[in-house]
Amino acid sequence: MVIADPLSMDTRSSVPTPRPTMGTSSLATAGDSSAPASEILIDIEHLDFFYGASQALHDITLQVEAKKATALIGPSGCGKSTLLRCLNRMNDLIDGTRIGRGTIKIRDVEINGRDIDVIELRKRVGMVFQKSNPFPKSIYENITYGLRLQGVKTKAQLDEVVERSLRAAALWDEVKDRLHASGLGLSGGQQQRLCIARAIAVEPEIILMDEPCSALDPIATAKVEELIHELKTNFTIVIVTHNMQQAARCSDRTAFFYMGRLVEYAETRTIFMNPGNPQTEAYVSGRFG
Amino acid sequence: MASSSTPTTISFLSRKNRFRLFGLTLDDCIRTFFGGNALISVVVLALITFFLFKEGAHFFAQNDRNLRIYRQAGLEYVDFIRTQSDDHTALTRSLSDLRVRTLNELTQKQNRPLAEANAALAGFDAFAGQFSDAVDPLRSLVSDLTEQATEIKTKFIVAGDKQEERNQLLAAGKTAEAGRVQIAVINFQEELKPLLATLPAYREANQAFATQLKAVMATAPTLPTPELQGRMDKFKAHTRDYLATFPAVEHKLETWDYLKPVPFWQAFTAFIFGREWLTASFWQDWYGVIPLFVGSLMVSLVALLLAVPLGVGAAIYVNQIASLGEQRFIKPCIEFISAIPSVVLGFFGIAVLGQALRALSQFTWLSWVPGFPFSERLNILTAGCLLALLAVPTIFTLAEDALNNVPRAFKEASFALGANRLQTIIQIIVPASLSGIISAILLGLGRVIGETMVVLLCAGNRIAIPDFTAGLGVVTQPVHTMTGIIAQEMGEVVRGSIHYRALFMVGLVLFFLSLGINYLAQRIVRRYRLSIG
Repeated sequence: MVIADPLSMDTRSSVPTPRPTMGTSSLATAGDSSAPASEILIDIEHLDFFYGASQALHDITLQVEAKKATALIGPSGCGKSTLLRCLNRMNDLIDGTRIGRGTIKIRDVEINGRDIDVIELRKRVGMVFQKSNPFPKSIYENITYGLRLQGVKTKAQLDEVVERSLRAAALWDEVKDRLHASGLGLSGGQQQRLCIARAIAVEPEIILMDEPCSALDPIATAKVEELIHELKTNFTIVIVTHNMQQAARCSDRTAFFYMGRLVEYAETRTIFMNPGNPQTEAYVSGRFG
Repeated sequence: MASSSTPTTISFLSRKNRFRLFGLTLDDCIRTFFGGNALISVVVLALITFFLFKEGAHFFAQNDRNLRIYRQAGLEYVDFIRTQSDDHTALTRSLSDLRVRTLNELTQKQNRPLAEANAALAGFDAFAGQFSDAVDPLRSLVSDLTEQATEIKTKFIVAGDKQEERNQLLAAGKTAEAGRVQIAVINFQEELKPLLATLPAYREANQAFATQLKAVMATAPTLPTPELQGRMDKFKAHTRDYLATFPAVEHKLETWDYLKPVPFWQAFTAFIFGREWLTASFWQDWYGVIPLFVGSLMVSLVALLLAVPLGVGAAIYVNQIASLGEQRFIKPCIEFISAIPSVVLGFFGIAVLGQALRALSQFTWLSWVPGFPFSERLNILTAGCLLALLAVPTIFTLAEDALNNVPRAFKEASFALGANRLQTIIQIIVPASLSGIISAILLGLGRVIGETMVVLLCAGNRIAIPDFTAGLGVVTQPVHTMTGIIAQEMGEVVRGSIHYRALFMVGLVLFFLSLGINYLAQRIVRRYRLSIG
């Protein structure tokens, strides 16, 4: 049983990160100038969500800022993945799900509105899953899949996107010689980065990550976390994680969920060092969950 | 330590009284029971295979003898001339077909009364009559020769029977009776002399035939439309080609020798590549599997063409699109189809489907469909439609399984990238389960090719290679199948006869075909499992 001291955790987290000072400093500046600089991209208000008769989310109100990484933490079954999947309406694929009350707005547009094109929404809100799930196709085809769906056919354009996405996902150097080999032949960490590259390729605004590192070893995890840091400059990231160190290392803001309710939502530093709610404190210090 | 402790511990351990049956413990009994069940199935399979081979293998020796007598008794010689005469008959038939077309043209398109149209065709009829009569000298020669050759063959067979009788008597130890059995020694050379002596007569008849044909062809009438005239020209070309084969036939007759050995492999190739299945004929029996094989293949092909879209389509719908309620309704429904006894389906095919298809083919507005209209209500199409129904549950169930095995993650990833349902199905789900679907189709094919009752009742049972010159219309012709012929003829053949053995050989071909299909399907499935990881 590890009772983590938030401070020491923070120092540990900065070890694998290449720019430890920058990470902390940006965090600090974001905290200081939060009022004028941050732009609210996702605005969730009073959201209730149901699987059939059982209610999974209770009155969630949460704002996600643009070009920031927001972590959703909490014990298993607390509704954090459900909330994430609400953001690109992946819950539509599950029979019997419905939104009881409340709104989710992205750039002030209600995404559950009748006139919303779900396909368009999912192009704008990409997703990376818990278990890496490259298609049983080549690396190249995996990345170009989304673009081909949108009707992009010119080879030069596709080539360019493949290279850019793979570079962004820090995978280019490892796979550039075997772009036409199967994506399933990569290692677990590489597969997950391929999935990230695939999500980036369609140039979404928001990338949702559902426990992206839970199936990866520590080295692969470090690479993905590093990647999340870099992606923040261009994308808004919402990440669900079980790993509190990970939330501390790579997110700017953290939301703590418990039993389908949002318990506390604040700057990551605040959540881990000075939580306002005793439940949050108990969870981040490892006393339950 | 344990041995030094109290003896009660040991007696406690050893006192356990084991149940024994024939000296076997309970564990052994269970093992033997289940192992025995598995063993019995393996042994039965081995026995079936052995039995098929044992009964089938004799076929080759018998067929070899069959082919040898065909040559020695001069039947082959006569058949050279008969083929020539038969080819002429085929030409005559195409001529009468041409007459029907011309008559239709005159009466229907040009609206002339029937009598007048027939009168207009008088020139054509005279031409056709002369053409058909030209063969007469040749034909009478053939019928004379047929009698002679049959006589020789009969003598040979009688001698063979006597030999058999003597052997049986000797085996029974009745030497005296055996000595009394008279076996005529057949001197083929002597017997064949009168047959071969007809060669000058043939030359003469053939000469007259050729001259007559050429003379008749010069009087060929011109037909009213370019289309019909084109057919007439084609007919003329065919006749010219036919005339050009005469010297070759003559050459074959001159060089024919009854002593020329029949190569041993011919007994095999005559079966595998033989284009004729002709049994209980007064002349010569042929056991060629090709017409039956082609029949089975054509029926299965039609069945698959119908069953694959239905089965795979339904599987995709149920697995990917349908709601839970629909799934609960559709799945048992499709699986129930396989519960229908195939003989009942056969009834349905004869009484309803065949009738309905024929009625449908008679509509003039459907005459553009290849093969329509047709008059045989039992044909490849009827049997194929019913077999498709039988294959659908197999294909559906297995394809649904394959689709089900595609990880849900693929579907989610595709949707998350902005794909719609159709794109996800076509680009992700189906490719990922393709090998499973292909093996489902193969197993459906196996199901169809082995099906007997439906084809026996509905395929028309005409033993002939369908006429592929009809293009797609070939499916409206009746055929016979490998399964059908076994079911139909096995009850009537003499045990141990060549016909009996030939049916076993057909069974063997079926056996290997099914084996091959199943093996292929399993291999594909295995590779598919590896690729998904």
